[in-house]
Amino acid sequence: MVTTYMAGNPLQEHRCGGVGRLWYPRLLAIVVLWPSLAHADEPLFGFTYTTDLLPKGKFEVEQWSTTRFAKATGNFWQQENRTELEYGVNDQFQFSLYANYDSTAAYHNGPFGATTPGEPFSYDVPSPDDHYRRSRFIGVSGEAIYRLLSPYTHTVGVALYFEPTIGPGFIEPETRLILQKNFRDDRLVLGFNFTYAPEYRRLPPDTTCMCLAETDVNADFGLSYRFRRNWSAGFEFINERELNSLNFAHEINSAYDFGPVVHYGGKHFFVTATFIAQLPWATTHSDTLPGAIVGGRDFDNDFEKYRVRVKFGWYFGGKEK
Amino acid sequence: MKSRFFLLPLTSFVLPGGTAYATVYLSVEQAQALMFPGAMFQSDTRTLTNEQVKAIEHASGVNVRGRQLKLWRVSTGGWFIVDEVVGKHEFIPFALGLDDSGAIKGIEILEYREAYGGQIREPDWRKQFIGKQGGSKLQLNKNIRNISGATLSCKHVTDGMNRLLATYEIAIKESGR
Repeated sequence: MVTTYMAGNPLQEHRCGGVGRLWYPRLLAIVVLWPSLAHADEPLFGFTYTTDLLPKGKFEVEQWSTTRFAKATGNFWQQENRTELEYGVNDQFQFSLYANYDSTAAYHNGPFGATTPGEPFSYDVPSPDDHYRRSRFIGVSGEAIYRLLSPYTHTVGVALYFEPTIGPGFIEPETRLILQKNFRDDRLVLGFNFTYAPEYRRLPPDTTCMCLAETDVNADFGLSYRFRRNWSAGFEFINERELNSLNFAHEINSAYDFGPVVHYGGKHFFVTATFIAQLPWATTHSDTLPGAIVGGRDFDNDFEKYRVRVKFGWYFGGKEK
Repeated sequence: MKSRFFLLPLTSFVLPGGTAYATVYLSVEQAQALMFPGAMFQSDTRTLTNEQVKAIEHASGVNVRGRQLKLWRVSTGGWFIVDEVVGKHEFIPFALGLDDSGAIKGIEILEYREAYGGQIREPDWRKQFIGKQGGSKLQLNKNIRNISGATLSCKHVTDGMNRLLATYEIAIKESGR
């Protein structure tokens, strides 16, 4: 759990936004100047992964934008950005590298009305009445997906996912099981993910220790139907759990989100947009922070009422036969 | 919000993504001439009944999306059919030639609108279907070779062949003799 601190600590200032400033123009230049844009696979969902991978030798650039907003009280807004380069090593294995960089604003948004930064900024401890604003380079991630079974040639598609993220005061080895089942000429797609991700952070008061902050255990379910050429729509249902241990003994939070997803896939690019809202199903658990559950919704520092995620991707690389 | 990251996601949408386009390989007339050189073609459009759709789906294990058949009777014997299967984003139009016994004489991909999977146009891959008839259950990775990186297209073309071979047996054969 990333604890919500009530006491101010103005010494915590880990700004690394300069890295993000350099990254993005370079990426833009690569994308704009790349000579042979082509096409590839793409995500049908904002949060749920499928087993579809890039073919061997193909590249893809993705830009993710996740906006998280609305707490029980006060103002809260968090913009999470990801710029990603994917490569199809072979037809069963895909590797990606990406940079994560976030911005946030918070005021009187936390438990008992205290200003509380979102989880990526939890190293910071503002005073309860601060108008908190920060931008931060979160870290660089590597992502490897290995597909064991294809949903096009087997009853169910199965893939394994590993994503280590390393950043300032932050390490997260994220693992995921991905299942996919297709129906109706592969136009109706069901996706299911089980995610296990322990997070290690340097947090006050002992910032010398890269200690277990929490373990995220998520179950994501998505359904999408291609209702016309290039267009798919459906919904996603997500159960996000946080544990205070590596095992399931100390549960902190469990929230449920649901919402629609729409996807456009073209020859050269795709766009996927998801809006999810937290359902009022949250309950108190053994390690739940006092004041985090309001009106049946969990408002600890990694939870909010609404999330919008937009993914935009460009495909290129390799020669077509 | 004055954050320097705030506008970054928005810039994604002003970048060039390219315009989708289709690669047209053959017109219907070109495919006809390729499969049945020198023959004359008589259009024979017909619509499947509910019972025929059910029978075709049962025999082939493939959904029938359209009831309208685009058929041509070939003067030298056989049938020429234009149909399409589902691709990753778009449909894949193709032409199928059947000889007078209902066996596959040739397959031509007329257009390909996807960037990946275009290898289904390779003659070696399409050659696998020649001589197959109704009752031959065509299965990817069994009696039809898959192309790595083009699995979805290979699967759907194979399914399309199963569906049209069943269609021939159920809705074309008797009336064609």
